[in-house]
Amino acid sequence: MRLMDMARVVRSKNAGPLHLTFDIMLETKVDYERCLAAPSLRAEPIANIYSVSANAVVITPYPTALAIKITLPRHEAAGVPGDRDVYGAQQHAPLLEIEV
Amino acid sequence: MSAVARLRARFAANPDQPLKLIGATGQLGYGVPKPAFTTALARKPDMIGADMGSTDIGPTFLGSGQMATAGEQTRRDLEKLLVGARTHDIPLIIGSAGSSGAAAHLDATLAMIRDIAAEHGLSFKLAVIRSDMDRDSVSAAVDAGRVRGMGVLPDLTVEEVHASSNLVGQAGTEAFIRALETEPDVIIAGRACDTGIYACIPEWLGFPTGLTVHMAKIVECASLCCLPGGRDPILAVLDKQGFVLESMNPARAATPMSVAAHSLYEQADPHRITEPEGAALVDIATYSAVDDRRTRVEGARWEPAEQLTIKLEGARYLGERAVLLAGSADPRFIQNVKTLLEEVKGVVQDLVCGTGVEPDYDLTFRTYGLDAVFPWPEPPVTPPREIFILGEVIAPTTDRALAVTKSTKQYLLHHGFPGRLSTSGNIAFPFTPPELAAGPAYRFNAYHLMEVDDLAAHFPVTTEQVG
Repeated sequence: MRLMDMARVVRSKNAGPLHLTFDIMLETKVDYERCLAAPSLRAEPIANIYSVSANAVVITPYPTALAIKITLPRHEAAGVPGDRDVYGAQQHAPLLEIEV
Repeated sequence: MSAVARLRARFAANPDQPLKLIGATGQLGYGVPKPAFTTALARKPDMIGADMGSTDIGPTFLGSGQMATAGEQTRRDLEKLLVGARTHDIPLIIGSAGSSGAAAHLDATLAMIRDIAAEHGLSFKLAVIRSDMDRDSVSAAVDAGRVRGMGVLPDLTVEEVHASSNLVGQAGTEAFIRALETEPDVIIAGRACDTGIYACIPEWLGFPTGLTVHMAKIVECASLCCLPGGRDPILAVLDKQGFVLESMNPARAATPMSVAAHSLYEQADPHRITEPEGAALVDIATYSAVDDRRTRVEGARWEPAEQLTIKLEGARYLGERAVLLAGSADPRFIQNVKTLLEEVKGVVQDLVCGTGVEPDYDLTFRTYGLDAVFPWPEPPVTPPREIFILGEVIAPTTDRALAVTKSTKQYLLHHGFPGRLSTSGNIAFPFTPPELAAGPAYRFNAYHLMEVDDLAAHFPVTTEQVG
């Protein structure tokens, strides 16, 4: 099943101008556990998608809100010439097709 | 007696009463909804807060000293809050004045405040917190190895410290408390932690810090923690064990899940809220429904920092920006667009600089429809029917930036390639001129943590009588 067909929220945003943070929020505990266990949502595949090193990817489960947070460094500070997404609000797109 | 002095006396007489705080807006200057603000005032709050700034908006506003919000709307929002607070004699606290909180932003905000006061015949004591960093102090900290990076930016250097057009620090709760000690009616701060706006009064009055910072981090976004989230003012009623959240718009509900989920928003770590003076640990917080629209939060703990730090923010001038707006619906052009854009870059460089001369400008293209927003590793399976091309030029002057952009436009329009069918033009312009001057360009050159022994020296507080 694709993440976009399971999650109720998949979003990205700057956490300060040097980091991107992603929130995946699920409807049910079953879905949350399934995403938490999914090999596709571990640091290494995420690092590959965003071309960063795997040890720079921090994955934080947040069971209180049935959510998984992923934080990783931006390639350049927000707003440099040629930046694609100053607020970082559209960097979630490649996560949507991930199979979980 | 000032509004803050009155509040202090009231809590001195009865320290166990709850404190009612209003988060009026998380982004002053885009509009504060009137019905919810009127409801908020009717609840007789003990303070009204508003945040005006963020780094989300990019480096240009910090660098240029301009506000990100429109002057007219910013003044309207300030007027609503100031007149409301003064009419009811409630302390008003505003942080990160004018979008980025440097001197120019703060002074423009203060000018509006004085102007509004004169127009409405208001008289009050104003406390001002300045957040511009002394370059020599920061340079000394750099030399002493007391400034550390937080990500992709290189280590801060003395050269960069002096090259920043504006260099600010985020004032913490400490600075707001010093402002409260002057017993003002209104506090306006330059760049500040959004939590300081709301944490200062409860901390000053003796409420537990962990709880207070957790509350502050939620109400600084107004009703964003609700379902559905939105910009309406929010009320927090704080006691010594917890706080209850209620949106001032009856259509929005603060539910245990929506409030808990708000800890994720724009935060790298949902379990801790890091401040200059320490961190609130919120992983053990509990969220329980009071009713359909209100949630009570308890349990956050405070961990004082072993080392005080100030988050520095600086922006450095790069040059003048011009942009080119163009589209294409030609399948042969779209198929080859990446190569063609590189070819045109070379052609333009030869024309505006001379062959082999290093360009004095920076030209980048984004191709919407292909990979402008995300650097997809593979092109789309089916080519898009249309694409949009955004050209960006940064050059030493506006004239130079426009000259490069105009040549780029013309040569992109007529650039030949094998198989070209559309020999009268490769691109469509939505209007003319399709090349536009976009003002000065900046980059963040500081976003670092500076270790300090004392916060107060960096954020001076002054007071004045307005009206």
